[in-house]
Amino acid sequence: MTARIVAAGVGVEFRFDRQRRPVSPRLSHLRRAGTRSWGLRDIDLEIGPGEAIALLGRSGGGKTTLLRTIGGVFVPDVGTLTVEGRLGALLSVGAGVMGSLTGRENAQLLGVLAGLPLSMARSATPSVQAASGLGVAFEQPVASYSQGMRARLGFATAGEADPTILLLDEVHEALDHDYRAFVRERAREILAHGGIVIAAGHDHPLLEQLSTRALWLDRGRIVADGPFAAVCSKYLASSPEAE
Amino acid sequence: MTVRSWIETWRVRVGFDTPPDNTARRLNRPYPAAVTEAMLEAGKASRATTSSASRRDLLVALTLSDLRARYGRGGWQVMKWLLDPFFATGVYLVLVTYVVDRPGPAPGLSIACATVPFQLIIASVVNGLSSVQMRHSIVLNTRFDRTMIPLAGVITETIVCGSSLILLVVMMAAYSVAPTIAILWLPLVILVTILVSLSIAYPASLIGVWWPDLRTFVLSAVRTLFFVAPGLVALSQVPSGAQKWLKLNPLTGIFEAYRSVLLYGERPAAWELLYPTAFAIILLALIVPLYRSEQRQFAKMVEG
Repeated sequence: MTARIVAAGVGVEFRFDRQRRPVSPRLSHLRRAGTRSWGLRDIDLEIGPGEAIALLGRSGGGKTTLLRTIGGVFVPDVGTLTVEGRLGALLSVGAGVMGSLTGRENAQLLGVLAGLPLSMARSATPSVQAASGLGVAFEQPVASYSQGMRARLGFATAGEADPTILLLDEVHEALDHDYRAFVRERAREILAHGGIVIAAGHDHPLLEQLSTRALWLDRGRIVADGPFAAVCSKYLASSPEAE
Repeated sequence: MTVRSWIETWRVRVGFDTPPDNTARRLNRPYPAAVTEAMLEAGKASRATTSSASRRDLLVALTLSDLRARYGRGGWQVMKWLLDPFFATGVYLVLVTYVVDRPGPAPGLSIACATVPFQLIIASVVNGLSSVQMRHSIVLNTRFDRTMIPLAGVITETIVCGSSLILLVVMMAAYSVAPTIAILWLPLVILVTILVSLSIAYPASLIGVWWPDLRTFVLSAVRTLFFVAPGLVALSQVPSGAQKWLKLNPLTGIFEAYRSVLLYGERPAAWELLYPTAFAIILLALIVPLYRSEQRQFAKMVEG
């Protein structure tokens, strides 16, 4: 099975009222008009099977918005986006887990959200526990977890649904070295089976290990698209602080 | 090729493939179908999602997580669920019997016939107001049908408030009110209560996202509904001139239906069930399509 992502002219707009609170387009008609900004603008993109992409750019450049749009969390306001494949996503700092639930309860909930039937999500919890390496902490509320433990849980659960498209937004940077190796190995498996891996972050050596191609995003637009080394060099040259 | 058939083609193409060495194969079960998304017609996205995890599974998973997140675990939580309606009824009983001095027949049971269903309604509103924000971590990480969120919230509160039915039994015993054949109507009366709770939970959830600052105001408004219904005293004890106005409140029919079945031992009047049902259906017909359309914007509005 293969995966594919095609975006044509994709744009995602954020609207705010006068108090700078985010509003939906419908709600913006009811509240006093405020500002608008494009999180993504004119995104044309094609990602084929077996491609690993790194998203580079400053904070606020559009990396998270692009990942969330591919993940279906945001709906494009303009353009067309086609995503073929099974998604596994870690798109938020909290890795999508709820603090008041235990690791096991989160694993079951996230398993169902990832597309597993409830019975399968339940029966998969031992393998999630093993893959996460959380041990006894798996039975404790996630509120007591570190960022890295949350990322482990989120990644292990996402892996259980056998994604063909893996989306990682900085959360992998919270992982320790052992688990990063596990993530790399899992990413290579996905790529070997015709899947896609897209990772965003600021840890360029780590991204280079995961990716061959890079997209540099700035103000919601793609500034450069090409081999990782070339795009990363351009980005770093444009922004000396990033080095 | 139409948009629909194009989407279906993709569903078939990627939906039931089974990569090697995965959980599904290990368990020898159908592999979870692909999350295939086709977004077409600029700005008017048409998303096709197939998943073997049914909406029922999603609903159960959301409800279980809601129960644990809101009400915790362990025996003490069960005691809290049981004691809550007793305290609420006790306070109103003292108010009606000693302060207002309008006890009427079996005042404790009469009040319980209002506080028990109202507990479900107000709990559903409280749940709905924070339902999306409470799940911000999954809303920001995963695409799923968010119209299930208020439904899961109402099921959660129904399970929790179900224990308060014990209060009705205790009050019937305390006032020596024997159940009659009319008690067979009770399941239908409870269903109407759940339906009304659901119809209010959807707008509450939407308000919680759109105007989070108004949560306290909404709660006050719903509490006001209790007092502009025959909550503390039965409708028959209210001056006749005010009765017709109180009947406009959908809670009036619900409270009176409980009293008919449990206190008076008679079949509820048709309006007591039909009016709240019609109110709920109309509200759901108006709000659910709006909610369905608006839920695609939730991720932009919740705080991470």
